[in-house]
Amino acid sequence: MIFIGSARTGFWPRLLAAFAYGLPIVLIIAPLLSFLAYSLFRMENGQIVSDLSLVNYRRFFSDAIFIPILWKTCLLCITVAALATLIGYPVAFLLANLKGRRRYFVLLMVLVPLLMSYIIKIYAIRSILGGNGFLNRFLLWTGLIEQPLTLFVFNLNAVLLTLTILLIPFAILPIFLSLERIPRNLIEASSDLGASSMQTFARIVLPLSMPGIVTAATFVFVLAIGDFLTPQMVGGQSGFTFGRIVYSQFGTAFNWPFGAALATILAIVVMSVIAVGSRLENRQK
Amino acid sequence: MMRLSNVAVGVLWAMTATVFLLLYSPLLIPIISSFFNIAHGEVQWNDPSLSSYTALAGNAGILEALGNTLIVGFSATLLSLVFGTLLALHYCGGKSIGREAMQFAIYLPFLMPPIITGLSLLIFFRETGIPRSLMTVIAAHTVFVQALTYRTIVVRLQSIGPYMIEASTDLGASAWQTLIHIILPSLSSTLIGAGVLSFAMSFDETLITLLVTGTDSTLPIRLWAMMRLGFAPDINALVAIILALTTLLCILAVRLLLPAELESAE
Repeated sequence: MIFIGSARTGFWPRLLAAFAYGLPIVLIIAPLLSFLAYSLFRMENGQIVSDLSLVNYRRFFSDAIFIPILWKTCLLCITVAALATLIGYPVAFLLANLKGRRRYFVLLMVLVPLLMSYIIKIYAIRSILGGNGFLNRFLLWTGLIEQPLTLFVFNLNAVLLTLTILLIPFAILPIFLSLERIPRNLIEASSDLGASSMQTFARIVLPLSMPGIVTAATFVFVLAIGDFLTPQMVGGQSGFTFGRIVYSQFGTAFNWPFGAALATILAIVVMSVIAVGSRLENRQK
Repeated sequence: MMRLSNVAVGVLWAMTATVFLLLYSPLLIPIISSFFNIAHGEVQWNDPSLSSYTALAGNAGILEALGNTLIVGFSATLLSLVFGTLLALHYCGGKSIGREAMQFAIYLPFLMPPIITGLSLLIFFRETGIPRSLMTVIAAHTVFVQALTYRTIVVRLQSIGPYMIEASTDLGASAWQTLIHIILPSLSSTLIGAGVLSFAMSFDETLITLLVTGTDSTLPIRLWAMMRLGFAPDINALVAIILALTTLLCILAVRLLLPAELESAE
């Protein structure tokens, strides 16, 4: 656009082109390739051996623990995505029906937690959920329970709850944007033809906001499955997720090639979910 | 959007209020606690004090981490804005070979789970013999937030359209003059908005940072290390301060990035 016609062959445009190809190649593609290469290496006596083989992938498929954990993690993240979308929808719908200052205020309320420190939120939720946390103490104080509840004490339920709370704003925004895109005349036509607002919602608004729902669910799923700190902070012993296993290969277990292979499998899962998501989205349009 | 009955509006507001309670209670509890004394790990609700704030001011580790975070945030923001602008100018400069593939590559660090972006950079730095330091953190944050600045700038450039630039070139301006007098001025609010958002994202980035950082820690990493050990009153004070700053940044970003019609639609 800036360099039109003959100007494209000058010195600066060439430099710009070199930069535009060079930067992604050096900082994005090369790291990803070295990462893929690592997944084909193996560990021997605490040393990384750089012979290419599929031994790490074979271990993933033959060992009885990895596939069940991946499956369990996927189920967890699907639940988180469903919950966040379900909880986020009414907020997005209200937001789409507001105007002026009120809309600005609610939108800001949705955005602030998004930018608020992730680590601090996990920490705070941890202090609420723990056996001796605010929730249990509050329930004991009101007399609703006699013994501290253990339902949310450092297990998979706690991970589920924490991830949902963390990711709700990510679900609200895409749904809100898709609601905004619905042509107003369709809604007016529906009510002019005598549909009640319930009917308009069920027949017009909900189907037309499906692309937003799909984006929201995909988004939340991808963010949830890549998270390894939340399960570590609130998951305790039983809340072991795939992300935690990957991360541990780079720490305590110290097996970088195997960790890279597991992360590659994670990337494949994420890519397939994104692909299915965008497929569904296009079909809805 | 729709004509809703009062009951429906009431129900929607009640649901929204519940969601906000869920979203904000994790933030409010440390903030309220920050104004009370803490003894034996328990908040003393009848003993209000500012002791957590004085403890924070005396915590050298946190202040150093805060300094690192600011260095990383400003550097990554600046770099990602410069890179994002250059990449966007190239993308919008007409058909070039493989430009869609390059665009996809630029988005990858943002699309992939952070653990993969972080691990690939970690392995890359190890293989190229670059020691882990604040520099590697800055590089990682730059590729991460650059996806966002790039996207925002491309959208803006496409909305400006080619006519202004063609007019400028037709009137005899050089590419530099066009860049400085036409393109950059019309990008200014986008650049500021994208910058604010990039800074906010870099400020909070944890998962990638944890993998590529050396001995220097940024604030989230430092907080993570502290929290594993247990409850500390100065964290509460920090939460209160960060929340105030984030709200401010957020208002700025919304003002600058959201199109005016979204705010006042209908």
